[in-house]
This record gives sequence, structure tokens and C-alpha cells, in this order.
Amino acid sequence: MKDTEKVGQRLALLKGISLSPADLEWIASEIEDLERVVAELEEFGRDTPWTAMPVQPPDKKV
Amino acid sequence: MAAADICELNLTDLSRLIAARELSSSEVVSAILAHLERLEDKLNAFITVLRERALAAAKKADEDIARGQYCGALHGVPVTIKDMFETAGVRTTGGSKILADWIPETDAALVERLNAAGAIIIGKTNLDEFGHGGTSTLSHFGPVHNPWNIDRIAGGSSGGSAAAVASGIGPLSYGTETGSSVRRPASYCGITGFKATFGIISRHGSFRGAWSQDHVGLFARSVKDITLGLDPVAGFDSRDPASVHQENPTYAARLDANMKGLRVGVLRRFLDGVNPEVRQAFDAALKFFAGAGCELIDLDVPEVSYAAMTSMMTSSAESAGINRRWFRERHQDFVPHVSRGIAVGMTITASEYLTVQRARHRIREALRATYERVDIIASPTTARVAPLLSDGVKGNGDDTRHASYNHSNLLRFPSMLGLPGGSLPCGFDAEGMPIGMQLIGNWFADQTVLNTAFAYQSTTDWHTRRPALVST
Repeated sequence: MKDTEKVGQRLALLKGISLSPADLEWIASEIEDLERVVAELEEFGRDTPWTAMPVQPPDKKV
Repeated sequence: MAAADICELNLTDLSRLIAARELSSSEVVSAILAHLERLEDKLNAFITVLRERALAAAKKADEDIARGQYCGALHGVPVTIKDMFETAGVRTTGGSKILADWIPETDAALVERLNAAGAIIIGKTNLDEFGHGGTSTLSHFGPVHNPWNIDRIAGGSSGGSAAAVASGIGPLSYGTETGSSVRRPASYCGITGFKATFGIISRHGSFRGAWSQDHVGLFARSVKDITLGLDPVAGFDSRDPASVHQENPTYAARLDANMKGLRVGVLRRFLDGVNPEVRQAFDAALKFFAGAGCELIDLDVPEVSYAAMTSMMTSSAESAGINRRWFRERHQDFVPHVSRGIAVGMTITASEYLTVQRARHRIREALRATYERVDIIASPTTARVAPLLSDGVKGNGDDTRHASYNHSNLLRFPSMLGLPGGSLPCGFDAEGMPIGMQLIGNWFADQTVLNTAFAYQSTTDWHTRRPALVST
């Protein structure tokens, strides 16, 4: 998928919110950065256990 | 005692004089309020000042103390709180136009505990909107100015709290930290800031910036004062899902300046690019530690290179979740830069958020192993002194989205992982701006951080210096 399409997909999540052209330009630029960061962190976190959040009461003892 | 002298007193001395009835709370609160009113045009540190309410509370404190009903170190002492904490019957804005006139019906847990301790809340301090920023320029109520040079920022997001304490507008303030919002403004304003291990202080009734990283923190003129402010507000609260069970807090009583044998770690690879004057002050502090019998250990923890971007992605996604409804209905009412940040956060998918949490877990495990080798990690708090207001939000020089960027990682990893940490003054640059050093401890080793800072402040005097603005 082209970078412009990826940005377009993300901007679609903001549908219904009226943003100025200047806002959209800034957000699109940040989104491009975000794509790169997620890719880097995905590689970095590979082979690391997925985290879990227990739902038991914190003071419960076995 | 002259009003000007009262404003110079630290919490330890003020508390002792009020307890001994050598000073009344009413005298103290009146003096501090007058001081606030004199400086506020220059600082813009407050959103709401509680003059009448504070004077009435001070009168009651004097009556209670006269009857022998003394509540402890904060009784009758004027304090300030960031406008992130709900106050029953008093507007609570979060620095936002959205809540500019909102008056809650209940108090935040912090406010409940301060009231129970007899503290007098004199005002609610200015901040970046809902804690989203590091400059305290992103407030609907205008920017906070640094008391050391009003053309410079106070740092954020708890900038109003830091500016107030640095100026002598109350000896103690409470703020919040999601990324670096206590340590950074403390460093920029030349005072002591501390945030405890995640879960030590209840966040119930304060606005969320990013729930998995949010902490309550304190500002004071010394670490001894920090402990006096910490004891009454720490402790379990079932209303905060992160709260942890703990014994009655006794941080103040357990202060100990003996550092012999303490293992102090330094992550040197992250110091490249730090301003030379900041580096020089920090190196001098390291010499102090070595001279006091500490063991200095060079650390290499490459996983920390990913801390800033992991922290930023986490807070971006969580803040979008928190503000989702307001953003859809009233995005134009947010401060523009904050609004754009929330918009970006709304485009992060659930699977991406979970991927980021996986990276966070890897960093946490690396730090867990590191704290087997050291007791404290020390570093400059910020890479440079407070930037000019005219530099805008980029003036901090922080780049949080590149693994190669150095110092932001040091600023970001403690809150992201919930580690206890403090910032304390360790020097000044050639223009007279304060330089801060941060000390970060292992989870629940809060006392070790406090003791290390106490030892440093028992021998140095950087924390006793005051901005010229206070006496002009």
C-alpha cells in the first residue's frame, strides 16, 4: 500500500470532524511519522510476551 | 514577622512556627495571598485564587490549633494544587475552555486528604490543557512565565505549580505527571519535584492524561519539605484502580542522609547532545556522589532508546480514548496544538496500541534487570535550561519519536514505567537559569530516592537560591 493511501485510511477515522487545511496537513505529517514509529516498535517488541492485565481484585490472595 | 520574611520560609520552618503558635495560619495565608497578587501579573501561574475561602479556613485552623487539635505538618499551611484536581464548589478547568466554568460537586482524593490534614488550598495553578504538553503555554488561560526570567517558559504541564513554589507563593504544590510534567517544570524553575511509584498517591478525581502513565507529584523547595507533603496524601484508595496497599506512610521520619555504598548508575549514551553547562553541573553532582561513598556505575541499556517513542505513542492513544467524546463534539474548543495531537491519537488502532505495549514490556524488563545492579539512576533532568517563550512548543528540543534521539528517553522512561523519581537543582547556567538533576529509583524504592536527594541537599545549597523576581 502506498504511503498516501495509509495516511488516507487513517484520516478516514476522523470523518465527520471539520478540520482546517492547516490542521490536516500537520496531522498527515504526524501520521507518516507514526507509521514509521509503529514499525520500529513492532520490530523492537518482537519475541516479547504480550502483556496481560489481571481482572481479579488486587488484594485477593490465593 | 514581616510578610516578606514569611514568604521566604520553607515548609519545614513554616510548619514548626505554626505548630508552636509563633505564627498564625491567618498571618501566613494573608502574606502569601498578598505576595501572589503582587506577582501574578508577571507569572500567570494561577487559574483560580481562593482568597476568601483560604482566609476562612486559616481562621478555623488557628482556632483548632489553639484548642490543641493539631493535625500535623500541613495544618494551617498554604498550599496550591494544579487545576487538574476536582474541588467541590470551586471551578475545575483542566486549563481548558471546555470546562472553563465547570464546578464539581465532590473533591478529588488529593483534596480530601489535604483537607483532612488541615492544609489551606489558596489557589489552583495553570497548566497545559488537561496535562497535554511540556511548556505550560498550551492553556486556555495563557502561558505560565518562569520566575527566573519571565521571557522563558516554566515547563509543563504543571508549570503554574512550579512557578508558584519557586516564587514563594506557598511552600508546597501538587501537580500531575504523565510524561515529565513534574520533573521538567521543577528543573526549569529551580525547585525540588518528586513523583512516587505508580499507585502510591490516589489519582481519583483528577483528569486523566493517559491512565497507565498518570501520577500525582509534588513541588517544594527541598526534599525534606517534599516528604512532609507526601506523608498525608499517600495511601491506598479503592477508587483508583492503580492504587496499591501500603503501610502508613512515614517518608519524613525515615529520611537518612547516609549514602555510603549506594550504587548510582549513569546511562552515558543518552548524555550526548546535552548542553555543556548542564553536563558540567551534572558531572559535578556525580563527583559529589563519589565523594560521599557512592559507587558510580556506567550502564548500557539500549532498550531505553525506545522509551520516548513508546511513552509518546501510549499517551497519544490513551488521551485520544479519554477525550474522544469531547473531541468529536467540541474539537474547536481545545487549544489548537492539543486538538491536533488528539486527532493523531485517534488514528492509532487497537492492534498498534497493543504492539506498543509489547515494546513497553521489553523496556520494563530491561530496567528490572538494571535495578539488580544499581539503586539509583542519575541524569540531568532536562538537556537544556528553560527555553524562551518565543520558541513555542518546539523550544524544549524534545524529539520523542526517534530511537536515536538521546535525552528525551531519560525524561520519559520513569513515568512510562511507574518508577519513583525526583528532580533537584544542581547548578545554574551563565544566564542564571537553574539546572536540574533527576534521580530515579527502583519500583517502591521511593525512600531511597528521597534519601539520596536529602543527602545531596544536606551538603549543597543550590535548592536554597531564589529568583530575583521574588524580592523586586
